[in-house]
Amino acid sequence: MGAESGQSKDPNLSLAEQREVMDTLQQISALLNTGLTPEMLSTIVQLCELGVNPEALASVIRELRSVAAALESPGG
Amino acid sequence: MATKTPKEVRDTENNSPAALLHQLVKATLGAKKDADISQHFQYAVRVVSSNFAPSIESDEFHVAERIKRKLAREGRESDAAYFSELHRKLQSQGKLQNRWAILYFLLSLADSNKETKQKPSSAVIFGRGLPNLATSTPFVPRNLHQTPVASEIGSYSHSGTQSSGIGSGISSISGPTPTPHSYAPGNLTTPGVTVAHDPQSVGSRLAQMLIGGSQSHVTNPNLASASRGQVSEVTKRNASALSPEENTSFELAEVAIVRDLVYVFQGIDGKLIKYSYNEDAYRMDSQVGVPRPVRDLVHKLAELGWLFCKVKKYVEKKSQDKSFGLVGQSFTAALQQELTEYYRLLAVLEAQQQETDDAIEETSTSALTLFQLSVWTFDPLHRMKQLAILVDGCKDKKGGALASAIHSYTLHGDRSVRALVSHILKLVAFPLWKMLDKWIYDGLLEDKYHEFFVAADPSVKEEKLWHEKYTLRKSMVPSFIKMDQARQILLIGKSINFLRQVCKDHTPIIGKGTEEVIEKHSKYENTEMFLDQDLDNTFQEVIDKAYQDTSRKLLDVLHQRFKFLDHLKAMRRYLLLGQGDFIKHLMDLLQSDLVKQAQVLYLHNLTGVLETAIRATNAQYDDSEILDRLDVRLLELSPGDTGWDVFSLDYHVDGPISTVFTPQCKILYLRVFNFLWRAKRMEYILTQVWKDQMCNARLLKDIPELSPLLHHMHTLASEMVHFIHQMQYYINFEVMECSYDELWKRVNKANDLDHIISAHEVFLDTILKRSLLDEESQPLLTQLRVIFDLIVQFEGMQEEFFKTSLEELERRKSAERAIEERTEMGKWGTTELEEKEKKRLHQEFQRNFIPSERAKLRVLSQTLQDMVQKFLVMLTAHSDDSLRLLAVRLDFNEVYKAREPKLRSPVAYMKRKKREY
Repeated sequence: MGAESGQSKDPNLSLAEQREVMDTLQQISALLNTGLTPEMLSTIVQLCELGVNPEALASVIRELRSVAAALESPGG
Repeated sequence: MATKTPKEVRDTENNSPAALLHQLVKATLGAKKDADISQHFQYAVRVVSSNFAPSIESDEFHVAERIKRKLAREGRESDAAYFSELHRKLQSQGKLQNRWAILYFLLSLADSNKETKQKPSSAVIFGRGLPNLATSTPFVPRNLHQTPVASEIGSYSHSGTQSSGIGSGISSISGPTPTPHSYAPGNLTTPGVTVAHDPQSVGSRLAQMLIGGSQSHVTNPNLASASRGQVSEVTKRNASALSPEENTSFELAEVAIVRDLVYVFQGIDGKLIKYSYNEDAYRMDSQVGVPRPVRDLVHKLAELGWLFCKVKKYVEKKSQDKSFGLVGQSFTAALQQELTEYYRLLAVLEAQQQETDDAIEETSTSALTLFQLSVWTFDPLHRMKQLAILVDGCKDKKGGALASAIHSYTLHGDRSVRALVSHILKLVAFPLWKMLDKWIYDGLLEDKYHEFFVAADPSVKEEKLWHEKYTLRKSMVPSFIKMDQARQILLIGKSINFLRQVCKDHTPIIGKGTEEVIEKHSKYENTEMFLDQDLDNTFQEVIDKAYQDTSRKLLDVLHQRFKFLDHLKAMRRYLLLGQGDFIKHLMDLLQSDLVKQAQVLYLHNLTGVLETAIRATNAQYDDSEILDRLDVRLLELSPGDTGWDVFSLDYHVDGPISTVFTPQCKILYLRVFNFLWRAKRMEYILTQVWKDQMCNARLLKDIPELSPLLHHMHTLASEMVHFIHQMQYYINFEVMECSYDELWKRVNKANDLDHIISAHEVFLDTILKRSLLDEESQPLLTQLRVIFDLIVQFEGMQEEFFKTSLEELERRKSAERAIEERTEMGKWGTTELEEKEKKRLHQEFQRNFIPSERAKLRVLSQTLQDMVQKFLVMLTAHSDDSLRLLAVRLDFNEVYKAREPKLRSPVAYMKRKKREY
């Protein structure tokens, strides 16, 4: 399985189709209450398609969120 | 999956992972300065690149399932459905290569949004709501866990609905599952844990997670054993004494043990716990490092696997066995049902254990521990043990015996066991009930495997259907059916078959159809009525009803179509000599034939005589159907027999009637007839004797020297007449009439054919006994025969005597007539020579004939008296009261008593006799 075929911006993948996929994923994300914005989601999709370990990615996101929350709370 | 190395990834330009990651970090932290971000970005890159390969297998289906399960657990079934739709859509679009990764990522982040401080309240509420819903069964009251009694009732009521299986055990297990941990495994990311850590510790935490929380579990058994200090001390002591080579160090993770145990529960050898043939149990590898208490606990739990294997083997073996029968099949089906419930438990356990394995983040909190396992399997273990006991108890049994065996276990004191066993019994009894239903309503015996307690012998012909065809298989009578009931059931079906096959009656028997019965039948439609007999007697009622209907029908058919009572009367009238005029006439007609030798008798001649007798007497008014059955029969000849010995009347019976008048019965009838016929003949002879005496008495007055002889003969004849009259009276009134009256009453009161048959048998028995035809009275009968012979002898003698006397009389008279004639003619009435001759003859008569006759008579009367005395002595010693009374009657004026000392104190005599025996 090559990285090329894994590209989300594959030329033979039309924009409409891409959007459709993203829509679906967005809905799932909403279902699962992940709190991801569409931009983040699309970035993550791309990362995943590149073969990044989702486990690690998830932990990173979680960590970053907690950091963000920590940053916000003293400020707020 | 991905082939790119991290370096390559970083090298690509705009949408290189690094750039993307940077974007992501920025987006997550909000719009901040690059400087702030860079630190986190560095961290992100480090984490991502260091954990490149996923720690768990990438299985898209699995992840999708987990998402669905998670949603379902939260009570969002519609969302779950929606998700599967989305997932399908995603699959069909097929553009994404790494669907699993995305899904997994989303799942990992699920609900993380809530943990942020925007909506803390909803998270708390949700968290609390979860435990109740995190079960596979719809609803289980929470207090089940706390109060064992309540849970028992819970499972009990559960069993009522569909099956009492292990499932109820599961429900009570899976109900409180989340209670001990406030969070079900994999449900939530615990907020406290995540938030509290600073970035530094995250790496180590991640590393820990990726290795798989096994190390942290190692402490668990440690703690567990420590908490039960006493126990472990004891075991340590034991361990040192028992097996020194056993490894009791704490090397092994509890998760591994639990996983193995779950396998063992299914009867499969695990990695560490294997079946040991030597010990016939599942044993843990002795080299594995596990503390003693844990090892013991594992062994204890592994018993469940052993029991399961046992039950399963039995079920498999028996379900292959074609000859095991329907009852057996339903037993295996019931066991299979229980096993299915057990599989459900296993599925739950496995899922739980899987989740432990899958757990992304959680550590010890969510793991399935040995102790949990032991708590959850406590109930199933108990049940399985009972099943195994049942299997053991029912090993070689089948049919009704199997049901009995199971029934014996329903008396168990434990309510849950009782519920389990009676549930199984209910299923097992079902085929029996089916058979019973067919049998008591249609008379059909559908019992290919000989399981029912009624057995039919197909080789038995119709004539013997009632007596021999159907029998009770005692070993197959289930213990919940009483023996009386079984007999009644046998009778019901037998009656139906009798009606159908022998009586050729195919009209329906009213029974099942009646309204009031149907109302009660709601219960009847179930095997419960077998089993609840103590509580209500529906079963008894149903049987009683069927019994009444069938028997009444049968009796009606017998009485109306087959005129049973008429036949009974005919038996009494002809075979038991009830019709006096007919018998007397028959005897008159037959007299001349029967004195001949038996060999020269011809049946057809006798039949003709019988016809004549019938036509000349009141018998002609009887039903022609009955008269047609009347016939003559000659008994077996033995040399020297006269016609009197072999002649007998016969009555032909066939069809249903012959069930009562069986061939054996008819032989008895013939014996009785023979006896009665003989006694009747004596009466007849004596009448003849008396008549002769009367006629000749006047004539023989002219021979004065005969008068003492005549007198003697007269007294002898009177003695005989007295004897025979008393005998006849006794036989006719005390034996025949009384017994017959009893029989008649009983037949009219009879509820079923068996009652009639038994009444008839009692009747015959009584007659036989009182007519001296049974074993005990054999000597009496011989004695009586001797007396009868004496009477016949006397008749012959008297006839002879009268003949000679009359000749003498005739001679004397003719001599006198000659004298008179000559006197009239004016000659001498007699000459000297003639006178001399006359005197000579006279003297000869006096000297020869009279003494010899006197002697004969004396001998005869002496013998008779001796015989009668002997007979009386025997009678007084007889066990039958009526026979002893007969003795009194025969010796009413105590003539014999005066002569025979033994008769003087019959009671004392009897006592002495008894002592002799």
